[in-house]
Amino acid sequence: MRSKILLALGAVCAGLLTWDFYRIFDMLPDEANQGAIYRIIYIHVPSAGTAFTFFTIAMLASVLYLATGKFKYDAVSAALIEVGLVFAGIVLVTGSIWARIIWGVWWAWEARLTTMLICWLTYAGYLMLRRAVEEPTQRARLSAVLSIFGFAEVVIVYKANVWWRTLHPGPVLTIRNGGGMAPGMENEIYWNMLAFVCLAVVMVMVRMRQEEIAREIDSLRRMAHSY
Amino acid sequence: MESRNLEYMFYGFLAAWLIVLAYVLSLAMREGRLRREIDRVRRMVEKK
Amino acid sequence: MSSELRTAEAGAAVRIEPRARPRTSLLAKIWTITAKDLRSEMRTKEALNASIAFSLVILVLFSFAFDPSSDQFQEFSGGLLWLVFSFAGALVLNRSFARETQNDCLDGLLAAPIPAAALFLGKAFANFALLIAVEVVSIPVFGLFYDVHWAGQFGELALVTLLGTWALTVIGTFFSALTVNLRMRELMLPTLVYPLMIPALMAAMKLTTDLLAGTPINAENVFGLKLLAGFDFIFTLLSLVMIDTVLVG
Repeated sequence: MRSKILLALGAVCAGLLTWDFYRIFDMLPDEANQGAIYRIIYIHVPSAGTAFTFFTIAMLASVLYLATGKFKYDAVSAALIEVGLVFAGIVLVTGSIWARIIWGVWWAWEARLTTMLICWLTYAGYLMLRRAVEEPTQRARLSAVLSIFGFAEVVIVYKANVWWRTLHPGPVLTIRNGGGMAPGMENEIYWNMLAFVCLAVVMVMVRMRQEEIAREIDSLRRMAHSY
Repeated sequence: MESRNLEYMFYGFLAAWLIVLAYVLSLAMREGRLRREIDRVRRMVEKK
Repeated sequence: MSSELRTAEAGAAVRIEPRARPRTSLLAKIWTITAKDLRSEMRTKEALNASIAFSLVILVLFSFAFDPSSDQFQEFSGGLLWLVFSFAGALVLNRSFARETQNDCLDGLLAAPIPAAALFLGKAFANFALLIAVEVVSIPVFGLFYDVHWAGQFGELALVTLLGTWALTVIGTFFSALTVNLRMRELMLPTLVYPLMIPALMAAMKLTTDLLAGTPINAENVFGLKLLAGFDFIFTLLSLVMIDTVLVG
């Protein structure tokens, strides 16, 4: 059942991505000021959306784990954060490449870039913490706590940046108070977002299954040693 | 599509897909390692 | 163990009254922990001496990293000061819970009839006092070495320092508890703690830079103060709620 869902999602994702990329490269015109490179937005923004969505759900899953003690939620939040980090990494790298051309530098210590980097570092710490704790219950408990702290921190950093100077292009999506993109160009962002979320969900499901296998190995080992 | 800034657009997409590819590879490697490990542990339990 | 439970190194004892006697208030329990931590620190002064010495060393090292007499220095003086505080503070915070692992002192503290939140607050207050002590030494030295007139806006600078130091303390103490049983504790603590401290450090650095340059807190930078206060509030609350999960499970 699960592998069927995985396959179906994977197929949907592949289809969506092919269709999206065909439209992004072949049908959409270049942007007037930026030329071809503006297309990076179709990777950059959906990745950021995916990453932040996942970090949020991971925080909720961590709360659920602490409330119920079910390892299912621990596996969910670990998988979400790991995949979220991959997409956050894509955001940083694609943004950096775009900035090289448009701003003339690879990196600027600017509000949103800083937020994203801090976010990345915080959650990388989460993965490190998971590796440092051997005992599964303790690992789940401590990492759930860190995930909640990390989320609170990321929200504060984001808020702080309203005050900090910003170089970053303002919100381009119309859902957030008036956008700056032509309608035909903006739609593609949403489609690609859908494709990225599909891809990320497939990864999360694979990662969760691995987490379950790891726990099974653990309990089998304990059984073997208890004889 | 004109060629202005085309090169760096290509780099951007390439980098994104490389990151995805690297992660998928790491997932696949971990999958293999876990499968081997669970087979080994299962045999160990059955033997006893 | 009868009615008396021996905890903490160097024989600093926490006397726990038998149940029949009237219960002590929460504040008294918190104070007991704070006093115990401060007393055992004062007997050896290990962490305090190390962290003051370390902060002086960093202050000296800064003079090689840039030209201290340049005008630019004004623009990042606050940042330097907070770097000193957070690095030197880590030496104190690192040991906060780790010192209780010897002789199973932590188990003793957890078995004592005080809530984990009181244990956390007690330790946080002790760490706060130690950090403030380090800062009281290093701010004048900083002013002396780099010709910074820090006394001009004393009240506001003190407020920012207190708020910022509490932010460092609360995060540091909480994660000292979280990492206490880990392998590689000394490595894990800074990698987890510094990113989490960033919002508070950002605000404290900006405000301190302004204050050292003679700009009082005004409409433009008051947001930093709000951010700092908000950070303190949120993370103190989160820590108090979560400390039980971390220490007891």
